[in-house]
Amino acid sequence: MTADPPDPGSFHDRVLGPAEARAYLDAPISEAEREEVLALVHWFRRRYPTPAERLAYVRRAYARWRRTLGIGATFR
Amino acid sequence: MPGMRGAEFDELTFFRAIHESGVRALLIGRRALVLLGLPVLTADYDFWIAIDQIAIFNAAAAQCGLQPTLDPETARRRGRYVVENDEHVDVLVARSVTTVEGVQVAFEDVWVQRQTVTLAPGIEVQLPAVDDLILTKRFADRPKDLEDIRLLRMLKSQGQK
Repeated sequence: MTADPPDPGSFHDRVLGPAEARAYLDAPISEAEREEVLALVHWFRRRYPTPAERLAYVRRAYARWRRTLGIGATFR
Repeated sequence: MPGMRGAEFDELTFFRAIHESGVRALLIGRRALVLLGLPVLTADYDFWIAIDQIAIFNAAAAQCGLQPTLDPETARRRGRYVVENDEHVDVLVARSVTTVEGVQVAFEDVWVQRQTVTLAPGIEVQLPAVDDLILTKRFADRPKDLEDIRLLRMLKSQGQK
């Protein structure tokens, strides 16, 4: 599960320069990364087969994450 | 119903209202990724709507108690606004948006290429095609947008349109 960052000014929400962004996008996707992500996708689609179930899961997961960390109220 | 609080927010009711309004609204952002099968967390909703349909979108959102932060004319001039209560919905309202690398992305083109996801009988959500969703992620180039692009590329490699 990939989470949004805890606040808008955080590392993940800053705007990158063109060179930094291009370097990130051009970085090859390793086989291990691909397998890990696709395994997660397969699990998610199998466990929550309908789009409505997926949306509902994310609302629950976000609420749980926010309760756990207690800092989610300010980020988008 | 006016005054509905976020705790009472019914996601299906929200999407049904948008669908039944007939507004040309594309779900973008991370919730679009979720519908495609990527388990990512997000707090808000992001839409890109036709520039002349702000009032229709707002009326649909009002059925769930969501209120616009700007009047339609100001929203159109600024290119984006929010409808919100305890929920937060970012609305992009522009004929086209340019990516950080200078690619102009037109709403009409994205709309034509869109894909439709059925949430429930009578509730359809419009999403950009994966390639266009990737372009929308390049409107800002935040690290999380680039992470999402990598995820979308992997999904596309599995045949997702």
